[in-house]
Amino acid sequence: MRSSHSLYSKPRQWDAAIRRELASWWYLALFGATALVMAFSPSTYTRANRIAVATHIYTGTWRILPWFVTVSALASLVLIRIVVVTALSYGLSQYALEMMVRVLVLELIPLGAALFVALRAGLAFNAGTLPQAPAGYAAPAAGIGAVPEVVASVFSVLSLAMVSSALVLVLAYVNVYGLSPWGLVDYTRTVGRIFDPVVTIGFALKTVLFGLAVSVIPIAALLELARRRRVHASTMQPGAVRLFFVLLLIEAGSLAVKYI
Amino acid sequence: MERHSETSAPDVPAHVEFKAVLLLILMTGLIVGFLLYVMYARGVFEDTQRLVLIADDSEGVMVGMDMTFSGFPIGRVTRVELGEDGKARILIDVPEKDAKWLRTSSIFTLERGLVGDTRIRAYSGILTDPPLPPGAERTVLRGDTNAEIPRLVATARGLLENLETMTASDSSINTSLDNLQSATARLNGRYGLLGGALGSDEEARKVIAALDRLNALLDKTDRRVFGQQGVMDDVQASVRQVNLILSDVRNTLKNVDAVLAEAQAVGANARVATEDLGVLRAEVEASLRSVNGLVDEIGRKWPFAGAPKEIELP
Repeated sequence: MRSSHSLYSKPRQWDAAIRRELASWWYLALFGATALVMAFSPSTYTRANRIAVATHIYTGTWRILPWFVTVSALASLVLIRIVVVTALSYGLSQYALEMMVRVLVLELIPLGAALFVALRAGLAFNAGTLPQAPAGYAAPAAGIGAVPEVVASVFSVLSLAMVSSALVLVLAYVNVYGLSPWGLVDYTRTVGRIFDPVVTIGFALKTVLFGLAVSVIPIAALLELARRRRVHASTMQPGAVRLFFVLLLIEAGSLAVKYI
Repeated sequence: MERHSETSAPDVPAHVEFKAVLLLILMTGLIVGFLLYVMYARGVFEDTQRLVLIADDSEGVMVGMDMTFSGFPIGRVTRVELGEDGKARILIDVPEKDAKWLRTSSIFTLERGLVGDTRIRAYSGILTDPPLPPGAERTVLRGDTNAEIPRLVATARGLLENLETMTASDSSINTSLDNLQSATARLNGRYGLLGGALGSDEEARKVIAALDRLNALLDKTDRRVFGQQGVMDDVQASVRQVNLILSDVRNTLKNVDAVLAEAQAVGANARVATEDLGVLRAEVEASLRSVNGLVDEIGRKWPFAGAPKEIELP
């Protein structure tokens, strides 16, 4: 973690620190690109890799899906109730549904899913269960060993976000219209108005980028540590700060594209 | 690094590949289902007809917003463009199942409130009119609350200025109130309403003095007119004399009437006499004619035969 404290060094060392930081970002980009190319290459999916991907999907999605969905549903229910009651008291109930879908489905759920996966990876790192970069994978081109994990993480973020979003859409409907089917046409129209092509593509792209960030950045940081043969002295997952910075950047960019 | 290398090979759970594939299929199904639902919600699978609304200003109109009829959304804005004539063209897709609500006589409005978004509304007064043809172009009526605000503010400012002028210390209202106050003070004064009406107690005193004089005059007049040996007594005597004169006149007129009757009788006798004179003249004329005939007869006899002589009547 010496590099992360490099900005606190003396001014004459800033040049070297900036160069090191840029090299680190370049390494990250290179690793991400390589992992992406390998993930889309059929030859990557050998028998062993398929099992590895399946195992990561199982541990990263199958196991945590019920818990995440339950927690996000409860949190969403609280938010939906607050929004509905507040909107009703101000006489703005016609905007409540749109606001809930926009805030929860488009913004909070994907971000929550990404943070949940990142947190889980951090906890796994601290518990010592995160697979370490294998020997010989110091170079980005040799990141094939991390591809199953990258694919599984992206899938995990996508799955958690999609299932939670679908559930939140149902919860929002039930909260506003009750169990009556007569609000379905109106609700469908509202959903259709919100999910115009730009928003839908932006939502999908943002979720995929969240998944990539969550999967690529920690692994790249680990690989970089191994490449530089440094010992990770902190209990914090390597690349965590960078990960949150990138997540913030993606979210800000998404908001800017949609609403500015 | 060592603590990670200990667990680099996790145990493979049972049927992990099947579970992963199942999850993949479920997620793919969910994503495809969600996409289909969104496409359905956006009316991708519906047959629509185009309606073009023309507005002076398309501010607040967004792609995707609804057009409502009786509060129900029946159309969706698909595009907003600027026409060749500089007017905004709002292109709306109306599903064919909802197009029945739009008639040739339908009116479209674009309303902007202070709170909330812009709304496009359709009104069809006569639902028996022919249906609106596809691709129809209609001018939209604008109801803009925001546009009314500057006018409202200008009016309010004028009103406030007037109010300020009215409430100023030297304003007409204040002067009027002062006058009213002095008038009410006079009303409460010695001469009351009279003093208030005339402006000062001095004037009121003059009026009262005049009234006193008038009262004295009336008293005097009453005595002179209606009192003993007053004008009214003379008048009554005169009236009695006039009555006597009138009765004399009536008698005289009766006499005149009798004289006239006599004169009428004389006139009648004269008329009879005149008629008798006519008969006498006719008889004389007949006698003359007989004498004339006799003379003619004698003249025709010898020795008096000669030139006939004409007898001239008197």
